[in-house]
Amino acid sequence: MKRLVKDEKVCIECHRCEETCAHAYFKTADIGKARLQVERNRQGEIDITICTQCGKCIQACPVLAISRNPKNGVVYVDKNKCVGCFICVAACPLNAMMRHKDELEPFKCIACGLCTEQCPTQAITLQEVEE
Amino acid sequence: MIKVNNRPFPHEKGMTVRDVLEANKFTYEGLIIRVNDQLVEDRDHIIQDGDDVKVIHICQGG
Amino acid sequence: MDHKLELKQLKQFSYERKPIERGYNNRTLYVNVSDQEIKEKPVTEEMKEKFVGGKGFGMKLLWDGTRPDTKWNDPENEIIISPGPVAGITQYPGSGKSLVVSISPATDLPIDSNVGGYFGPYVKFSGFDALEVQGKADREVIVYIDGNEGSVSIDQIAVDTDDAHLISEILTEHYAKDEDDKRNISVVSSGSAAKNSYMGVLNFSFYDPRRQVPRMKQAGRGGIGTVLADKNIKALVVRFAGTKGDLNNSYDYDKVARTGLKLHREIERLDDSLFRMRQVGTANITDTMDKYDLLPVMNFQYGSHEDAKKVYANEFRDNYLTQGFPDGCWYGCSLACAKTADNFELLTGPYKGHKVTVDGPEYENVAGLGANLGIFDPQYVLEANFYCDTYGIDTISFATATAFAMECYERGLINQEHTGGLELKFGNKDAALELLHQMSRNEGIGVQVGRGVRRMKEYFAKEFGADPVLMQDIGMEIKGLEYSEYMPKESLAQQGGYAMANKGPQHDEAWLIFMDMVNNQIPTFADKAEALHYFPIFRTWFGLAGFCKLPWNDIFPENNKYQEEAHKIPEHVQNYVNLFSAVTGKEIDMKELILQSERVYNFQRTFNVRRGYGRRKDDMPPYRSLGPVTKEEYESRAERYDGQLKELFDVDPATMSVSEKIKMMREHREKQYDTLADAVYKRRGWSADGVPTVEHLQEIGMDLPEVLAVAEENQ
Repeated sequence: MKRLVKDEKVCIECHRCEETCAHAYFKTADIGKARLQVERNRQGEIDITICTQCGKCIQACPVLAISRNPKNGVVYVDKNKCVGCFICVAACPLNAMMRHKDELEPFKCIACGLCTEQCPTQAITLQEVEE
Repeated sequence: MIKVNNRPFPHEKGMTVRDVLEANKFTYEGLIIRVNDQLVEDRDHIIQDGDDVKVIHICQGG
Repeated sequence: MDHKLELKQLKQFSYERKPIERGYNNRTLYVNVSDQEIKEKPVTEEMKEKFVGGKGFGMKLLWDGTRPDTKWNDPENEIIISPGPVAGITQYPGSGKSLVVSISPATDLPIDSNVGGYFGPYVKFSGFDALEVQGKADREVIVYIDGNEGSVSIDQIAVDTDDAHLISEILTEHYAKDEDDKRNISVVSSGSAAKNSYMGVLNFSFYDPRRQVPRMKQAGRGGIGTVLADKNIKALVVRFAGTKGDLNNSYDYDKVARTGLKLHREIERLDDSLFRMRQVGTANITDTMDKYDLLPVMNFQYGSHEDAKKVYANEFRDNYLTQGFPDGCWYGCSLACAKTADNFELLTGPYKGHKVTVDGPEYENVAGLGANLGIFDPQYVLEANFYCDTYGIDTISFATATAFAMECYERGLINQEHTGGLELKFGNKDAALELLHQMSRNEGIGVQVGRGVRRMKEYFAKEFGADPVLMQDIGMEIKGLEYSEYMPKESLAQQGGYAMANKGPQHDEAWLIFMDMVNNQIPTFADKAEALHYFPIFRTWFGLAGFCKLPWNDIFPENNKYQEEAHKIPEHVQNYVNLFSAVTGKEIDMKELILQSERVYNFQRTFNVRRGYGRRKDDMPPYRSLGPVTKEEYESRAERYDGQLKELFDVDPATMSVSEKIKMMREHREKQYDTLADAVYKRRGWSADGVPTVEHLQEIGMDLPEVLAVAEENQ
């Protein structure tokens, strides 16, 4: 299974990953539309939210709009089937299913790796992981 | 003597909130317990003689 | 499975598709199956202001479309299905409800019945704030709405089944372009028993893509399924493809979405440790009611039973109910209380041996079909649930009516000759199921049971010489409608809640048992009157807007206990106020929310008056609902009752016979009820006879001239 892997210890908060993602999929500079998030938690530590392709969202969806690609194990949202209920957003244990006020459907990381190509410190990498 | 939901109820020394719930068979999940108007969340809280205990069930139904 | 479906179009109507404006289409659809007229009717600003939507629209259209003496089976009677302005949002749990309104065969009053499923929202997305059906077809027809094409048709139908689970499948299959399209179809149907009874339900289907079967929710009370069958309408069908997150074109979509997501998270965190709606649905209430001695057992005689644990929620969860599926009856409901038993094998009846999907059991089904009949068997509860649904029979009315028949049998008021050989004893599940099958076949004593408690009392007295006085006391009906499955016997507030409800004893208006009996929060008559003013009005607001009431208080946030008036779940009430405003753009507050509901509530009461009812005498309950009728009942709670008599009248119960004590208790309780009625009518702004006063109607803004006229004439 292909997925992002993170190492907060080497992240320098340049946000290039988020910029790249938001630009690639939404043609915007608004990093609120990125499919990964780099923030600080309540303790002031760097916290990177990534999707681990766990698939918990698949079972939560009432319209079977979310499924796993059998070839690479990546979990996708089919926007055409989605009815915009956001139950998947609440079901995600990592807060990696994203919602933005401009979008009727939620969106998630599909392990394309574009963000990892821009990361200067390998804080995020794309890897093949045992499911 | 204590009051439980405005009805007299016998007091026993050392009785806790949990004891009052059991004696009244208040097994419901949605309970709010106040003793002398203070919210009490600890079921081992000791009830004193003369205390005014309110056990509010948040109703479902329908 | 080949059921030879034949359809022939009789009439077709095209309409212009327009986007919804802040929750409203501003038009309704009218279909007459007698003369085949199909037309749009406008929704005025005044109609929205005074009636809001949902039940409000239904009541208004029914008043305008019928005469004061229109009977339920006149062609003039209507069935109106109306979601509300908020219905159809996909983010907040419980936002797909419709209210169905008609003149009830059971009560001769306007009945309102709430229902989930996809039909209501799809009709709304198709372009209409209500579907209004009138007339009577001379042969079986369906009405088909294609919301993407902008087309409505009346089609003659021939198909060799009447039963809902098959009709839903057959019509879904017929209209769907492919498997993926099936979720875009919803079918409204009754069932083979609906036309043979006065307690027919409407089934509203919703296709489940995981189970690959249409499931059904019910518009249960009052016999509207009987009306559909009487009109010779086999089904109403809608197809709408393209459900998206904001077809309502809300004023503030983001607020709607944020509020919905907040509740999804709350349910995810807390449901498992609260009422477990996602695991067992409303059946969790069975356990609680039994433990609190409030479960109706054997025709409401007792409040608990040692075998009740055989039908506690976990019995269903562990042995029958599929877990972990997103089971909401409209998109976005993460409370997901619509559980099902999948691949459930039926043991009786025409579908014996079939493996079916049973939607249920709801609490009412466990308490009614089970405890109230003395049958503590989960397999039977699910089987009876299935047959009620597919035959189109209200589980609540069936349960309470059967409970009455069983007690009559047990007490020798009727015998085995009268029942055609059926041993109608409490606990006899075969007999209970056979009654249902008889209703479907239109034969046997089942047909009398299907006419309901009120008609049974008349029939048993006339045909079998049964004692009418005892039957009046133990027959749990009022206004012609059977009581739903809670024990009001020890709660004066609940007795009032049931008896003074507009449509009949349905608990949607008031559920005050805990507040009254357990919490002791409403000790005085004034307190009770205040509760009987506020709660019925608040609780019926949901049916104007398109909401399900369950996410209001079957889940609540962690900090709820710190709130003043925690039992009202203030944060959730604020959610509803916010959602209404966010969709419609109309800023409302709690005060306006209550007024919205109060207007429709008083309209409905005046509608009852218009039809010759709506008076104090129509609110008089059977004594079984107020106190112990029989020696066994008295003795089952002797300590409690003796204690009360001692406290109230300073008597020594040990020196009195049981009959004397029953008589004394009865006089007291009947007097209490009368005093309560005085206080409640006054608080509600009604006359001493229960008619809304002109002053009150004007004060709340329900001042349409035709409404004031009825009130004035009847003071």
